[in-house]
Amino acid sequence: MSTKLAINLHKLARFTNTAIPIFTLLSFLAGWRISFYFHFLTVPMIGLTLINYYYLFAQRNHSLLRNFGILGQGRYMLESLGPELRQYLYSGDTEERPFNRTERAEVYRKANNVDSASSFGSQNDFDATEVKLRHSLFPISKENLLPYRLTFGEERGIQKTYTLTVPFIISGMSYGALGKSAIRSLARGIAQTGGLMNTGEGGYPKYHLMENCDLAFQIGTAKFGVRQEDGTLDDQRLADLAAKDQVRLIELKLSQGAKPGKGGMLPKEKITAEISELRGVPMGQDVVSPTHHPECEDYHSTVAFIRRIQEVSHLPVGIKLCMGDPRQFAELVAEMKRQDSFPDWITIDGAEGGTGAAPKAFIDRVGMPLFPALKSAQDALVSAGVRQRLKLVASGKLINPGSQIIAFCLGADAIATARGFMLSIGCIQAMQCGSNTCPVGITSHNPKLERGIDIADKALRVANYVHSLEHDLDELLCAAGARCVRELSFDHLYVPNETLLYPFAHRI
Amino acid sequence: MKSPKLKILSWIAQFAAAAIMGQTLYFKFAAHPESVQLFTELGMEPHGRLLIGAFELIACVLLLIPSSIVYGALLGACLMAGAIIGHITELGWEGPRLQLGSLAIAVFACCITTLIIRRRELPLLKAIQTEKPTKRARPKD
Repeated sequence: MSTKLAINLHKLARFTNTAIPIFTLLSFLAGWRISFYFHFLTVPMIGLTLINYYYLFAQRNHSLLRNFGILGQGRYMLESLGPELRQYLYSGDTEERPFNRTERAEVYRKANNVDSASSFGSQNDFDATEVKLRHSLFPISKENLLPYRLTFGEERGIQKTYTLTVPFIISGMSYGALGKSAIRSLARGIAQTGGLMNTGEGGYPKYHLMENCDLAFQIGTAKFGVRQEDGTLDDQRLADLAAKDQVRLIELKLSQGAKPGKGGMLPKEKITAEISELRGVPMGQDVVSPTHHPECEDYHSTVAFIRRIQEVSHLPVGIKLCMGDPRQFAELVAEMKRQDSFPDWITIDGAEGGTGAAPKAFIDRVGMPLFPALKSAQDALVSAGVRQRLKLVASGKLINPGSQIIAFCLGADAIATARGFMLSIGCIQAMQCGSNTCPVGITSHNPKLERGIDIADKALRVANYVHSLEHDLDELLCAAGARCVRELSFDHLYVPNETLLYPFAHRI
Repeated sequence: MKSPKLKILSWIAQFAAAAIMGQTLYFKFAAHPESVQLFTELGMEPHGRLLIGAFELIACVLLLIPSSIVYGALLGACLMAGAIIGHITELGWEGPRLQLGSLAIAVFACCITTLIIRRRELPLLKAIQTEKPTKRARPKD
């Protein structure tokens, strides 16, 4: 110990352990001899003494309590208060992860339709870590902007193309991951904007279908909803689903950012009778999807499988993947070129982790972050000369206009975000998505918690959020002097040397 | 608390404790001579009698509200421990006092039973309530 003022906790604990029984005895004597009122003290002290002896001599699980007794409990108490205390009192506005307070506040303000202008400067560091948009010396005015239109399937000339008019897609969240009220709020809200919602891999999208919004049906590696007994694709069931008016697109998920190379995961706490029926899985145990589609064993079979889904569904079909090795991606593109068969879009999912439950190692340490992954994908497609054969969708923490415009500059045609929309309906980032205890009822199936969500109110917020993002995107496009997102390019970005994109900016 | 049997046992204990404590309240609040006599001997008349009566009332109510059962049981156990101390040090066990003392012990036992069954609901003891680590086999075995 360096200073004389420091408290010697070992001594303090020894003193406490001796003092407690002595004090108990004293208060008992006082209660006996002086006034019976002292026994109000005696009784709790007896309890404390017993607990202390239990900690010191009976329990064997916790070394700290075995060594120091009741005082050691203080550590556990303070530790359990820690996360809340830090979040409420001590965390700076730009400190928290995955979304800091300023980022979340921006979404909340957009969802509430409150002015999101801020004053007296930015909170960000500018020295070397922030990618920025290079505005034009000659900004254009809003009348010159072209309306946003993105038609999936036009390259193949199919009948049932789908034209996206809102560049912000609700990324895949299944009923299971989210509760039914949250799903319906999102679906109703996006329906009001004419946008698109992805169903996630949760089987038959019962609640997504309720609000008449356009849907992209996602096929995960477990193929919930379109699975045969052996885990392969059931063509008939897929065709039936694809025949529904609301299902406009099919997305084949090869991997996802939260746990690339690992199947989806639904913890047993969240599997209700209804979910077990919709997915065809047993209750009472975690559902872990396979790591890959049995149909996709190599480049050739993967491309063939995409083509098969296109033929069965007659809809635009895309794939979603989190980039691992860009060389593998380039190889996949080369195979597509060889077979002259392309998906109608590719969603590049950043490895930043999503709502989904995932092992910590996968959330933290597997997969490429979005921006370099997106840039690699764009480069691979351009150098193969096939960029015009498909669309690129970007997803991964793109909740604010500032990060979305970067993704557009890197080649994205549309943005998908899940957590941005969750924040818009009131997510407070309590980080309990996997335990069915979400305090705002978004990722919970507990009716008492879901009660907090008023669908009409939340739907309005979803629509507000989308409209606000569109407004900001328009302003950014004007500033960049681009009439639509297609006119944006990597050259519109200022890329300082400590960013992940720097290697792309200075390649020979 | 896992099995429904234990849950039923806990509720029986809660009702018993609340019923026994509850019926003595009338005597305490109505200043029944016997009750006044008891608290005079303890040197707590009348404030102590009313104070303990109020605490017992609170304990009875808490014991019957699902989210506060453990707190009611804790309070009840403390009060009854006090009563037992009273019998040991001042009141003795002769005649009708034996019956009163046994009732206090019975309520104490009920409260402790409830506490043991519902120990996982106790707020500050969470730290030691984790299960003993179970054995995990190697993935390939």
